[in-house]
Amino acid sequence: MNEHLSAQTIESYADGELAAERVPDTEEHLRECAACAGKLVAQMQLKRSIREAAWTMPPHAFRPRRRWWPAVAAAAAVLAILIAIPRSNSELADLHTTILASANPVDVISTDRHTVKPWFEGKLPFSFPIPELAATPFHLAGARVVYVREEPVAYLMVTKGAHRISLFVGRDVPSPRTDAFESVSWTRGGLRYVAVGDVARTDLEALRNAF
Amino acid sequence: MTFEELAMPLSASLYNYARWLTGEPHEAEDLVQETYLKALRGFASFREGTNFRAWIFRILRNTFLTSRTGLRATAMQPIEDDDQFVAEGDPETIFLHHANGEELRRAILELPLEFREVLLLADMENMSYREVSEALSIPVGTVTSRLTRARAKVRRRIQEKR
Repeated sequence: MNEHLSAQTIESYADGELAAERVPDTEEHLRECAACAGKLVAQMQLKRSIREAAWTMPPHAFRPRRRWWPAVAAAAAVLAILIAIPRSNSELADLHTTILASANPVDVISTDRHTVKPWFEGKLPFSFPIPELAATPFHLAGARVVYVREEPVAYLMVTKGAHRISLFVGRDVPSPRTDAFESVSWTRGGLRYVAVGDVARTDLEALRNAF
Repeated sequence: MTFEELAMPLSASLYNYARWLTGEPHEAEDLVQETYLKALRGFASFREGTNFRAWIFRILRNTFLTSRTGLRATAMQPIEDDDQFVAEGDPETIFLHHANGEELRRAILELPLEFREVLLLADMENMSYREVSEALSIPVGTVTSRLTRARAKVRRRIQEKR
Protein backbone atom coordinates (compact mmCIF):
# COMPACT_ATOMS: atom_id res chain seq x y z
CA MET A 1 0.00 0.00 0.00
CA ASN A 2 1.13 3.54 -0.71
CA GLU A 3 2.07 6.02 1.92
CA HIS A 4 -0.80 7.43 3.96
CA LEU A 5 -2.51 10.56 2.66
CA SER A 6 -1.46 13.82 4.25
CA ALA A 7 -3.96 15.79 6.32
CA GLN A 8 -3.83 18.49 3.66
CA THR A 9 -4.67 16.02 0.88
CA ILE A 10 -7.64 14.69 2.84
CA GLU A 11 -8.89 18.17 3.53
CA SER A 12 -8.55 19.28 -0.10
CA TYR A 13 -10.28 16.12 -1.26
CA ALA A 14 -13.17 16.69 1.16
CA ASP A 15 -13.47 20.24 -0.15
CA GLY A 16 -13.52 18.99 -3.75
CA GLU A 17 -10.35 20.98 -4.38
CA LEU A 18 -7.77 18.29 -4.97
CA ALA A 19 -5.95 18.71 -8.29
CA ALA A 20 -7.65 16.47 -10.87
CA GLU A 21 -4.49 14.50 -11.66
CA ARG A 22 -4.15 13.48 -8.01
CA VAL A 23 -7.73 12.25 -7.61
CA PRO A 24 -7.37 8.71 -9.07
CA ASP A 25 -4.41 7.78 -6.83
CA THR A 26 -6.05 9.32 -3.81
CA GLU A 27 -9.27 7.42 -4.39
CA GLU A 28 -7.39 4.20 -4.92
CA HIS A 29 -5.63 4.69 -1.61
CA LEU A 30 -8.90 5.51 0.13
CA ARG A 31 -10.45 2.27 -1.09
CA GLU A 32 -7.65 0.25 0.47
CA CYS A 33 -6.83 2.21 3.59
CA ALA A 34 -9.42 2.24 6.36
CA ALA A 35 -7.40 4.71 8.43
CA CYS A 36 -7.35 7.36 5.72
CA ALA A 37 -10.96 6.68 4.78
CA GLY A 38 -11.89 7.19 8.44
CA LYS A 39 -10.08 10.52 8.49
CA LEU A 40 -11.88 11.57 5.33
CA VAL A 41 -15.26 10.72 6.86
CA ALA A 42 -14.38 12.72 10.00
CA GLN A 43 -13.30 15.64 7.82
CA MET A 44 -16.52 15.60 5.83
CA GLN A 45 -18.53 15.30 9.01
CA LEU A 46 -16.80 18.37 10.43
CA LYS A 47 -17.51 20.30 7.26
CA ARG A 48 -21.17 19.32 7.32
CA SER A 49 -21.56 20.08 11.02
CA ILE A 50 -20.00 23.51 10.57
CA ARG A 51 -22.27 24.19 7.65
CA GLU A 52 -25.39 23.19 9.57
CA ALA A 53 -24.31 25.14 12.64
CA ALA A 54 -23.47 28.22 10.60
CA TRP A 55 -26.81 28.29 8.88
CA THR A 56 -28.48 28.80 12.20
CA MET A 57 -27.94 32.27 13.51
CA PRO A 58 -25.06 32.78 15.91
CA PRO A 59 -25.72 33.70 19.51
CA HIS A 60 -26.17 37.40 20.09
CA ALA A 61 -23.16 39.41 20.98
CA PHE A 62 -24.29 41.64 23.80
CA ARG A 63 -23.86 45.02 22.28
CA PRO A 64 -26.22 47.96 22.29
CA ARG A 65 -27.77 48.85 19.01
CA ARG A 66 -25.79 51.37 17.07
CA ARG A 67 -26.35 53.00 13.72
CA TRP A 68 -23.08 54.28 12.44
CA TRP A 69 -23.73 54.75 8.80
CA PRO A 70 -24.62 58.14 7.48
CA ALA A 71 -28.09 57.72 6.13
CA VAL A 72 -28.31 57.63 2.40
CA ALA A 73 -31.97 58.01 3.00
CA ALA A 74 -33.45 58.32 -0.44
CA ALA A 75 -31.47 55.50 -1.97
CA ALA A 76 -32.07 53.37 1.06
CA ALA A 77 -35.79 53.88 0.78
CA VAL A 78 -35.72 52.69 -2.81
CA LEU A 79 -33.63 49.71 -1.87
CA ALA A 80 -35.76 48.85 1.11
CA ILE A 81 -38.49 48.04 -1.37
CA LEU A 82 -36.16 45.86 -3.40
CA ILE A 83 -34.61 44.16 -0.44
CA ALA A 84 -37.03 43.03 2.15
CA ILE A 85 -34.66 41.51 4.67
CA PRO A 86 -37.02 39.45 6.74
CA ARG A 87 -37.24 40.68 10.31
CA SER A 88 -36.50 38.02 12.85
CA ASN A 89 -39.64 38.34 14.89
CA SER A 90 -42.16 38.55 12.07
CA GLU A 91 -45.22 36.49 12.40
CA LEU A 92 -45.92 34.28 9.42
CA ALA A 93 -49.05 36.22 8.50
CA ASP A 94 -47.01 39.43 8.25
CA LEU A 95 -44.41 37.63 6.22
CA HIS A 96 -47.11 36.23 3.93
CA THR A 97 -48.52 39.74 3.38
CA THR A 98 -45.11 41.32 2.88
CA ILE A 99 -43.94 38.72 0.41
CA LEU A 100 -47.11 38.86 -1.68
CA ALA A 101 -46.89 42.65 -1.79
CA SER A 102 -43.26 42.58 -2.84
CA ALA A 103 -42.16 43.29 -6.40
CA ASN A 104 -39.94 40.21 -6.21
CA PRO A 105 -41.86 37.77 -4.05
CA VAL A 106 -39.64 34.79 -4.87
CA ASP A 107 -35.95 34.38 -5.68
CA VAL A 108 -36.39 31.41 -7.94
CA ILE A 109 -39.33 31.50 -10.30
CA SER A 110 -40.12 27.99 -11.34
CA THR A 111 -43.03 25.63 -11.64
CA ASP A 112 -40.64 22.70 -11.72
CA ARG A 113 -39.92 20.97 -8.43
CA HIS A 114 -36.72 19.58 -9.97
CA THR A 115 -35.47 23.16 -10.26
CA VAL A 116 -36.69 24.34 -6.89
CA LYS A 117 -35.39 21.49 -4.76
CA PRO A 118 -31.73 21.81 -5.83
CA TRP A 119 -32.02 25.60 -5.56
CA PHE A 120 -32.52 25.20 -1.81
CA GLU A 121 -29.38 23.13 -1.51
CA GLY A 122 -26.73 25.00 0.42
CA LYS A 123 -29.26 27.60 1.52
CA LEU A 124 -30.93 25.56 4.23
CA PRO A 125 -29.62 23.27 6.96
CA PHE A 126 -32.26 20.65 6.10
CA SER A 127 -33.92 19.25 3.03
CA PHE A 128 -37.44 18.15 2.30
CA PRO A 129 -39.26 16.52 -0.59
CA ILE A 130 -41.31 18.63 -2.97
CA PRO A 131 -44.10 16.51 -4.45
CA GLU A 132 -45.36 16.50 -8.02
CA LEU A 133 -48.42 18.78 -7.99
CA ALA A 134 -49.55 18.16 -11.57
CA ALA A 135 -52.46 15.95 -10.53
CA THR A 136 -53.67 18.51 -7.98
CA PRO A 137 -55.37 21.91 -8.36
CA PHE A 138 -52.14 23.50 -7.07
CA HIS A 139 -49.20 24.91 -8.97
CA LEU A 140 -45.74 25.71 -7.74
CA ALA A 141 -44.87 29.34 -8.53
CA GLY A 142 -41.46 29.80 -6.94
CA ALA A 143 -39.39 29.79 -3.81
CA ARG A 144 -37.08 31.75 -1.56
CA VAL A 145 -35.47 31.55 1.85
CA VAL A 146 -36.93 33.59 4.68
CA TYR A 147 -35.93 33.98 8.31
CA VAL A 148 -38.34 33.16 11.09
CA ARG A 149 -37.06 33.58 14.63
CA GLU A 150 -33.56 33.91 13.14
CA GLU A 151 -33.78 30.49 11.55
CA PRO A 152 -33.69 29.95 7.80
CA VAL A 153 -37.02 28.66 6.55
CA ALA A 154 -37.98 27.46 3.09
CA TYR A 155 -40.72 29.47 1.46
CA LEU A 156 -42.75 28.00 -1.39
CA MET A 157 -45.31 29.99 -3.26
CA VAL A 158 -48.14 27.79 -4.40
CA THR A 159 -51.06 29.00 -6.47
CA LYS A 160 -54.58 27.70 -6.81
CA GLY A 161 -56.34 29.57 -9.56
CA ALA A 162 -55.82 33.25 -8.80
CA HIS A 163 -55.04 32.61 -5.14
CA ARG A 164 -51.53 32.58 -3.77
CA ILE A 165 -50.65 30.38 -0.82
CA SER A 166 -47.48 30.68 1.26
CA LEU A 167 -46.00 27.42 2.43
CA PHE A 168 -43.30 27.70 5.09
CA VAL A 169 -41.11 24.70 5.89
CA GLY A 170 -38.59 24.76 8.72
CA ARG A 171 -37.34 23.16 11.88
CA ASP A 172 -39.31 25.37 14.21
CA VAL A 173 -41.98 27.36 12.44
CA PRO A 174 -44.64 28.87 14.69
CA SER A 175 -48.29 28.71 13.69
CA PRO A 176 -49.55 32.15 12.75
CA ARG A 177 -51.97 33.86 15.06
CA THR A 178 -54.29 35.62 12.66
CA ASP A 179 -57.91 35.86 11.68
CA ALA A 180 -57.03 37.49 8.38
CA PHE A 181 -55.97 34.27 6.68
CA GLU A 182 -56.62 30.59 6.85
CA SER A 183 -53.71 28.48 7.96
CA VAL A 184 -52.97 24.81 8.35
CA SER A 185 -49.87 23.40 10.03
CA TRP A 186 -48.45 19.93 10.12
CA THR A 187 -45.25 18.07 10.94
CA ARG A 188 -43.49 15.67 8.64
CA GLY A 189 -40.01 14.21 8.72
CA GLY A 190 -39.16 16.31 11.77
CA LEU A 191 -40.05 19.54 9.96
CA ARG A 192 -42.91 21.96 10.54
CA TYR A 193 -45.03 22.90 7.53
CA VAL A 194 -47.30 25.94 7.74
CA ALA A 195 -49.57 26.92 4.87
CA VAL A 196 -51.10 30.41 4.89
CA GLY A 197 -53.51 31.91 2.39
CA ASP A 198 -56.84 33.52 1.71
CA VAL A 199 -58.39 30.29 0.51
CA ALA A 200 -60.81 27.84 2.08
CA ARG A 201 -59.45 25.70 4.88
CA THR A 202 -60.28 22.59 2.85
CA ASP A 203 -57.92 23.87 0.14
CA LEU A 204 -55.05 24.10 2.60
CA GLU A 205 -55.89 20.63 3.87
CA ALA A 206 -55.79 19.36 0.31
CA LEU A 207 -52.35 20.96 -0.05
CA ARG A 208 -51.25 19.25 3.15
CA ASN A 209 -52.40 15.91 1.74
CA ALA A 210 -50.40 16.58 -1.44
CA PHE A 211 -47.26 17.00 0.68
CA MET B 1 -27.97 40.06 -16.33
CA THR B 2 -29.31 42.98 -14.35
CA PHE B 3 -28.08 43.94 -10.92
CA GLU B 4 -31.31 42.73 -9.37
CA GLU B 5 -31.11 39.33 -11.03
CA LEU B 6 -27.57 38.85 -9.80
CA ALA B 7 -27.89 40.38 -6.36
CA MET B 8 -31.32 39.47 -5.03
CA PRO B 9 -30.82 35.69 -4.76
CA LEU B 10 -27.80 36.37 -2.54
CA SER B 11 -29.63 38.38 0.12
CA ALA B 12 -30.11 35.48 2.55
CA SER B 13 -26.46 34.46 2.18
CA LEU B 14 -25.18 37.99 2.62
CA TYR B 15 -27.36 38.55 5.65
CA ASN B 16 -26.25 35.32 7.25
CA TYR B 17 -22.60 36.15 6.62
CA ALA B 18 -23.09 39.69 7.94
CA ARG B 19 -24.75 38.24 10.99
CA TRP B 20 -21.67 36.14 11.68
CA LEU B 21 -19.31 39.05 11.16
CA THR B 22 -21.17 41.58 13.29
CA GLY B 23 -22.74 39.24 15.83
CA GLU B 24 -25.81 41.42 15.93
CA PRO B 25 -29.01 41.41 13.82
CA HIS B 26 -29.50 45.16 13.33
CA GLU B 27 -25.92 45.79 12.38
CA ALA B 28 -26.12 42.87 10.00
CA GLU B 29 -29.17 44.38 8.32
CA ASP B 30 -27.44 47.75 8.05
CA LEU B 31 -24.36 46.08 6.66
CA VAL B 32 -26.32 44.27 3.96
CA GLN B 33 -28.19 47.44 3.00
CA GLU B 34 -24.94 49.36 2.76
CA THR B 35 -23.40 46.57 0.71
CA TYR B 36 -26.28 46.62 -1.76
CA LEU B 37 -26.02 50.40 -2.04
CA LYS B 38 -22.31 50.29 -2.74
CA ALA B 39 -22.67 47.37 -5.13
CA LEU B 40 -25.44 49.14 -7.00
CA ARG B 41 -23.32 52.27 -7.31
CA GLY B 42 -20.26 50.29 -8.35
CA PHE B 43 -22.09 47.91 -10.65
CA ALA B 44 -20.81 49.70 -13.73
CA SER B 45 -17.28 48.72 -12.72
CA PHE B 46 -18.22 45.06 -12.31
CA ARG B 47 -16.93 43.11 -15.28
CA GLU B 48 -19.41 40.68 -16.81
CA GLY B 49 -18.05 37.15 -16.76
CA THR B 50 -16.18 37.57 -13.50
CA ASN B 51 -17.50 36.18 -10.26
CA PHE B 52 -20.36 38.31 -8.98
CA ARG B 53 -20.77 36.44 -5.71
CA ALA B 54 -17.11 36.89 -4.77
CA TRP B 55 -17.34 40.55 -5.84
CA ILE B 56 -20.34 41.42 -3.66
CA PHE B 57 -19.02 39.44 -0.68
CA ARG B 58 -15.81 41.44 -1.00
CA ILE B 59 -17.81 44.68 -0.86
CA LEU B 60 -19.63 43.46 2.23
CA ARG B 61 -16.38 42.52 3.93
CA ASN B 62 -14.62 45.77 3.09
CA THR B 63 -17.62 47.69 4.35
CA PHE B 64 -17.57 45.69 7.55
CA LEU B 65 -13.84 46.23 8.07
CA THR B 66 -14.24 50.01 7.96
CA SER B 67 -17.20 49.96 10.35
CA ARG B 68 -16.60 50.51 14.05
CA THR B 69 -17.29 46.88 14.91
CA GLY B 70 -14.99 45.76 12.12
CA LEU B 71 -12.18 48.04 13.19
CA ARG B 72 -12.47 46.78 16.73
CA ALA B 73 -12.43 43.17 15.53
CA THR B 74 -9.28 43.68 13.50
CA ALA B 75 -7.59 45.74 16.22
CA MET B 76 -7.99 42.89 18.67
CA GLN B 77 -6.57 40.45 16.16
CA PRO B 78 -3.35 38.75 17.22
CA ILE B 79 -0.93 38.71 14.32
CA GLU B 80 -0.30 35.16 13.30
CA ASP B 81 2.01 34.05 10.60
CA ASP B 82 0.38 31.67 8.17
CA ASP B 83 3.69 30.13 7.16
CA GLN B 84 4.45 28.89 10.63
CA PHE B 85 1.52 26.57 10.47
CA VAL B 86 2.03 22.93 11.45
CA ALA B 87 -0.86 20.55 11.00
CA GLU B 88 -2.21 19.38 14.30
CA GLY B 89 -5.09 17.45 15.75
CA ASP B 90 -6.26 14.19 14.32
CA PRO B 91 -9.79 14.44 12.97
CA GLU B 92 -10.29 10.77 13.72
CA THR B 93 -10.22 11.32 17.44
CA ILE B 94 -13.19 13.62 17.25
CA PHE B 95 -16.74 12.52 17.33
CA LEU B 96 -18.27 15.60 15.91
CA HIS B 97 -21.63 14.08 15.22
CA HIS B 98 -22.08 14.40 18.97
CA ALA B 99 -21.02 18.01 18.99
CA ASN B 100 -24.12 20.05 19.52
CA GLY B 101 -24.88 22.94 17.23
CA GLU B 102 -24.73 25.49 20.01
CA GLU B 103 -21.17 24.47 20.95
CA LEU B 104 -20.14 24.65 17.34
CA ARG B 105 -21.70 28.07 16.86
CA ARG B 106 -19.85 29.35 19.93
CA ALA B 107 -16.61 27.90 18.62
CA ILE B 108 -17.10 29.58 15.23
CA LEU B 109 -18.00 32.91 16.82
CA GLU B 110 -14.89 32.80 18.99
CA LEU B 111 -12.58 32.36 16.02
CA PRO B 112 -10.47 35.41 15.19
CA LEU B 113 -12.01 37.23 12.26
CA GLU B 114 -9.47 36.11 9.66
CA PHE B 115 -10.25 32.45 10.40
CA ARG B 116 -13.98 32.90 10.86
CA GLU B 117 -14.48 34.51 7.47
CA VAL B 118 -12.53 31.83 5.58
CA LEU B 119 -14.42 29.05 7.35
CA LEU B 120 -17.82 30.62 6.74
CA LEU B 121 -17.22 31.28 3.06
CA ALA B 122 -15.83 27.81 2.41
CA ASP B 123 -18.16 25.74 4.58
CA MET B 124 -21.33 27.77 4.94
CA GLU B 125 -21.33 29.37 1.49
CA ASN B 126 -19.64 26.40 -0.18
CA MET B 127 -17.31 28.71 -2.10
CA SER B 128 -14.34 27.23 -3.91
CA TYR B 129 -10.87 28.16 -2.63
CA ARG B 130 -10.57 30.50 -5.61
CA GLU B 131 -13.83 32.27 -4.85
CA VAL B 132 -12.82 32.67 -1.21
CA SER B 133 -9.50 34.10 -2.32
CA GLU B 134 -11.30 36.62 -4.55
CA ALA B 135 -13.81 37.57 -1.86
CA LEU B 136 -11.10 38.16 0.73
CA SER B 137 -8.35 39.43 -1.61
CA ILE B 138 -5.84 36.89 -0.32
CA PRO B 139 -3.84 34.21 -2.19
CA VAL B 140 -5.32 30.72 -2.57
CA GLY B 141 -2.45 29.29 -0.48
CA THR B 142 -3.44 31.52 2.41
CA VAL B 143 -7.05 30.36 2.04
CA THR B 144 -6.04 26.70 2.42
CA SER B 145 -3.75 27.28 5.38
CA ARG B 146 -6.24 29.49 7.22
CA LEU B 147 -9.02 27.03 6.52
CA THR B 148 -6.99 24.16 7.95
CA ARG B 149 -6.18 26.19 11.03
CA ALA B 150 -9.75 27.41 11.46
CA ARG B 151 -11.06 23.85 11.41
CA ALA B 152 -8.33 22.70 13.79
CA LYS B 153 -9.27 25.49 16.20
CA VAL B 154 -12.94 24.53 16.06
CA ARG B 155 -12.09 20.89 16.66
CA ARG B 156 -9.87 21.73 19.60
CA ARG B 157 -12.53 23.95 21.11
CA ILE B 158 -15.09 21.17 20.92
CA GLN B 159 -12.65 18.70 22.44
CA GLU B 160 -11.82 21.01 25.33
CA LYS B 161 -15.49 21.13 26.17
CA ARG B 162 -15.80 17.44 26.83
